[in-house]
Amino acid sequence: MARFSLPQNSKIEVGNYFKDETKSKNLRKINVYRWDPSKGKNPRVDTFEVDMDNCGPKVLDILIKIKNEIDPSLTFRRSCAHGVCGSCAMNVDGVNTLACIKSHTDINGDLNIYPLPHLKVIKDLIGDLSTLYKQYESIQPWLKVGQTGKEKEEIKQSQKDREKLDGYYECILCACCSTSCPSYWWNGDKYLGPAVLLQAYRWINDSRDNDKKERLKKVADELKLYRCHTIMNCTNSCPKGLNPAKAIGSIKKMLATS
Amino acid sequence: MEQNKNPLSPHLQIYKWQISSLLSITHRIVGVINFFAITFICVWSLYLLLGETNYEVVNNFFNSFFGKFLIIALCWSFSFHILNEIRHLAWDFGYGFDIRISKITGIIVFFGSFILTVIIYVLGRNYI
Repeated sequence: MARFSLPQNSKIEVGNYFKDETKSKNLRKINVYRWDPSKGKNPRVDTFEVDMDNCGPKVLDILIKIKNEIDPSLTFRRSCAHGVCGSCAMNVDGVNTLACIKSHTDINGDLNIYPLPHLKVIKDLIGDLSTLYKQYESIQPWLKVGQTGKEKEEIKQSQKDREKLDGYYECILCACCSTSCPSYWWNGDKYLGPAVLLQAYRWINDSRDNDKKERLKKVADELKLYRCHTIMNCTNSCPKGLNPAKAIGSIKKMLATS
Repeated sequence: MEQNKNPLSPHLQIYKWQISSLLSITHRIVGVINFFAITFICVWSLYLLLGETNYEVVNNFFNSFFGKFLIIALCWSFSFHILNEIRHLAWDFGYGFDIRISKITGIIVFFGSFILTVIIYVLGRNYI
């Protein structure tokens, strides 16, 4: 049964207030979720006053500025800063997105930054995605060609077949979609979630792959696939503009018609 | 879950409602209500079979303020469910997944459900 409220050890408390020391006139309040594993306390929300006159345009710029100038203990993942690696996925202003491509000028009022929803928090803005990675492994995301005797030859793909992968191969597995999905919140251990199902569809749909039937069979499961109720939070949150809901719909349609 | 010391990051508490997610949860709640409503309508039909006095009781109830409210509410819950189910049917056929289109159809379903409610109620009460 789904549990809608947070467990006792996850209730959020009011945290510290970091007052601005630069005497800037263009201040913005940034509320950031914090949890330190070494303290043994409940998570809290710290508020930082940030001088926006000397800050880059993206949410990630704010976080880096806070880490550099206000509180070096702030912990978050980031790498490329160009929306390619998917490390800085987090919940900004109530919607999952990549901090590095989200402009803070698009958001009105105070900025609220939380880790990706319904994950075990490792520290501050870092959630534990190991379940998702295991599920990703379970769909065997690699090309399966079988024994044909022609393993050393190049497998050709027509331009048309290649185009079938457009909108799916771009996925960077940032987990914004999966962690935005209420179905995945309640059944995350069994339901594969939008990110993994989109990947599953990408391999089912690849003309070079010879294991389509097996792949479909493996995913055709009441819990693995059909927990998707087309809530579409996934598509609404995808920072790459992809459509996991459509991918899942396509798998369902394939199963219904095959 | 409690024994693990790592907290669970907030989910429902912080996630912003989208048109699509609001309609989805409404669809589900309305579905449950309709389940009971159909049972209720069956019981009501059964009452009609039991004779004139029973019919009078039901008839008076439906002409009371609360009765009317109940009927209009049920008209809406059925209208909404039917319209949103058509949307789901289109999705099952593979259409309407585009984010813009799903938003537009969602809004149509929402407002359409009220229009359909009025139509059903007015026709059902023989006002025209």
